[in-house]
Amino acid sequence: MRVFYSVFMKEIITFLRSWGLVAVVLYSFTLDVYIAGSGLVITPRNVTVGYVDEGNSITAQKILAKLHPPEFQKPKRFLSQKALLDAIFDKKIMVGIIFPKDFEKKLANHDHPQIPIYLDSTAASQAYITLVYLQNILLDFSMSQKLFDLKIHKLFNQNSDSKMFISFVEMLSVITMLGIILTAIVFVKEKEDGTWDILLLTPAKSSHIIFAKAFSQVTIMLGGIIIALGFVVLEVFQAPLNGSFWAFMLLSILYLLTLAGIGLFIAAASQTIMQVAQLSMLIAMPLIFLSGAWTPIYSMPTFLQKLSLISPLRYYIEGSESIFFRGTGWEDLWGYFVGVTILGIITFWYGYKKIGKLF
Amino acid sequence: MALLHVSNLHVQYKETIAVDNISFSADQGEIVGFIGADGAGKSSLFHAIAGVVPFSGEISYHNYTYHSPKEAEKIKPYLGLMPQGLGLVLYPELSVKEHLEFFIDIRNLKKDKALQQYTEELLHMAGLAKFTDRLAKHLSGGMKQKLSLICTLVHRPQLLILDEPTTGVDPVSRRELWEILQHQKEHSLTLFSTAYMDEAQRMDRVHLMHEAKVIAQGTPDSLIQSAKPYTYEGVYECDTCISFQNRTYALSTLPMPHAKPTLESLFFINALQHNAIPPKISIAPRSKPLDIPPIVMEAKGLTKRFGDFVADDHIDMQLQRGEILGLLGANGAGKTTFIKMLLGLYPIDEGDLYLLGKKISSAKDREDLKSKIGYMSQNFALYKDMSIKENLLYFANLHHIPLSIALTKIDELASSLGFAKYLHSLPKDLPLGINQRFSLAAAILHEPVVLFLDEPTSGVDTIARAQFWDLLHQLKNRWQISILITTHYMSEANFCDRVVVLKSGKKIVDERVDKLFEQYPWAKSFEDIFFYLYQKEKT
Repeated sequence: MRVFYSVFMKEIITFLRSWGLVAVVLYSFTLDVYIAGSGLVITPRNVTVGYVDEGNSITAQKILAKLHPPEFQKPKRFLSQKALLDAIFDKKIMVGIIFPKDFEKKLANHDHPQIPIYLDSTAASQAYITLVYLQNILLDFSMSQKLFDLKIHKLFNQNSDSKMFISFVEMLSVITMLGIILTAIVFVKEKEDGTWDILLLTPAKSSHIIFAKAFSQVTIMLGGIIIALGFVVLEVFQAPLNGSFWAFMLLSILYLLTLAGIGLFIAAASQTIMQVAQLSMLIAMPLIFLSGAWTPIYSMPTFLQKLSLISPLRYYIEGSESIFFRGTGWEDLWGYFVGVTILGIITFWYGYKKIGKLF
Repeated sequence: MALLHVSNLHVQYKETIAVDNISFSADQGEIVGFIGADGAGKSSLFHAIAGVVPFSGEISYHNYTYHSPKEAEKIKPYLGLMPQGLGLVLYPELSVKEHLEFFIDIRNLKKDKALQQYTEELLHMAGLAKFTDRLAKHLSGGMKQKLSLICTLVHRPQLLILDEPTTGVDPVSRRELWEILQHQKEHSLTLFSTAYMDEAQRMDRVHLMHEAKVIAQGTPDSLIQSAKPYTYEGVYECDTCISFQNRTYALSTLPMPHAKPTLESLFFINALQHNAIPPKISIAPRSKPLDIPPIVMEAKGLTKRFGDFVADDHIDMQLQRGEILGLLGANGAGKTTFIKMLLGLYPIDEGDLYLLGKKISSAKDREDLKSKIGYMSQNFALYKDMSIKENLLYFANLHHIPLSIALTKIDELASSLGFAKYLHSLPKDLPLGINQRFSLAAAILHEPVVLFLDEPTSGVDTIARAQFWDLLHQLKNRWQISILITTHYMSEANFCDRVVVLKSGKKIVDERVDKLFEQYPWAKSFEDIFFYLYQKEKT
């Protein structure tokens, strides 16, 4: 126990004294989460629109009047289709709308006039969401006699606020990256500094050293999670906490142990911090992409959907979202706990075995 | 007017003064040496002269005076600088030939017959003519340094600055490096820094450096002569003198015969003159006496292979109770690998190992022995973010030493090893000599029976090295500890009871040091014997 305690305390002290690392961790849990939440915008915002109105149509002006801030900038008029296309090419305009000469006339005759729309699709998600917006506006406009009305109820996120979602998901991604890297670093730093050999020659049991090192980093990560939640996700972005905070903490601890297991494996395979960084990227990125963090799992190809079952982050994200937004109770969370626990046991066991071989 | 004239040179990094008011001048055809430990200021001095770090003071070369790196641009075509570090200027993926071509191209030299002839001559002298297609990463340490040197020489620099080109290089390559230098010495002025005192004999003039200052300068012989009045034969106990290896240094007259000093003597005398007498070191006896078998370690045919490369080839070795065994050999001869096999840090590929009379066949056999073995690695590996006391406590905990005993033990070692006042400092803020002793403290905290030391003295200044050896002898005498030590300093073989020399993974010498001197009475120093035996054994 004394070995466990001294290794544990040594790692905490070392962490707190390496201010560079402390700064990186603090940044990742605060500013990084904040920037992700406020910078990644999925609704159209300040979209630049250009148009050509060959027939000086009044209807066209009425349609354009619907494109207003904050979603759109004031539409800019171009004199020819070519000038408009050039502007799109130069990235001055994202959406170009052309009202043909006979637009008004055909409209009056119910002759289905066409409105060509040009989109700069390099800003892919913005462009498509803008398109949906435009279609809605045009649809509203052309359906003078509506056949039915849609009454939309937004559940769990009444204001359709993407910020708190994104900040939340970013926090989980940060946890994934750092959880792996920090655990791997406490081992590999000793290899780099040559203290590893001396550690091996002490009669201390390898299991005590490994657990103490892994738990010290889990503790540091828990501190980071509380900071990120308290200062950014719950405070700045006002995400709701409908379920049990302790359920989330327990799920986090289980997930962090899973990550520690991956970290142990990386530590066993790396000789330098540089290798840790490379391997962590290689492993964490697929974990994050497969988890449904940035793309919903149901829109992935089938085999990737199957593969996502082995991403522990998937259970962690779905579980955490249920706790935070849906307020799911303990009794309905067991699936997520089981998923994270099973994957956690597997990765930790494997990582432990790998690093244990070095002793 | 001399070719190079340096006056009142001063280099400072933030708080640290690296070069403190140094002046000297030197002429073409001279090899001017700067000798001192790591951190004495040699590299900073050279970097200032080469115009790569800011400095104050004045340097003039060929009547061109410069005060800043910017003004120094003009002398760079005449300059050849070889920075410290094995093969630092080389590109691991380029071959020997490609290196020469690269350096010819960046110096924009005219590729004519004369140049062709000159490079071939250089390759020949460096003994690299047969290896022109070999990639730099496959060269040995000595070959790398020779290649670096001829790459620096390719544009025939008139001012050649070599920063510790021989550090970590085996004695044979060191001699070849010196031959190349002697050969082209007439055409240029060579500034040469080294931590090896024995190289001074080949220099025209020597500057001894200590803590940013030049403490003595002159021809090697005159320097040694100047130390004579203060050097005495034998050991003498007094507060104002230093005794080391059967010599005593004192500023006052002692009732003893004078002894022939060495360049190292000057460092002791300097310490006396500045009233910086090192604290006396004294080790307390073991807390409980131990029954130690007469043979502590025995290796029979130990072999280690890395792929096709045989790092250690069937090595037999014995370490007796209370014996100091020096393990010598060039870089890559297999010294560190051998120690790591003994410690179980590398698996043994072939052969038998007995530690304290017990055959070692699995990691489990080592478990009980861990409390009896002490190890100190090459770079004094300790935790940089923890104070000395925290470091020592940490190791005490890992060795299951009870806290109350550990605390008294740490205080005791700190005062007897002379670092008591640094207990609460971080290792990075302390001189190398202190770190060295405190690493040793960490290695002997649990009172081991045998101590494995991997190059514990490299880079440490003369006085700290003397103290360290004094400490090792005390451990040997009072604790009956056995020590296996590797070193690059040939002169340190004199402090060992027995030496084993490895060459390319094979054992070529295993003999008591006094017997060796009896066998080769013509030898002036151990290096002569080493060199003779090393050459004799053709691989």
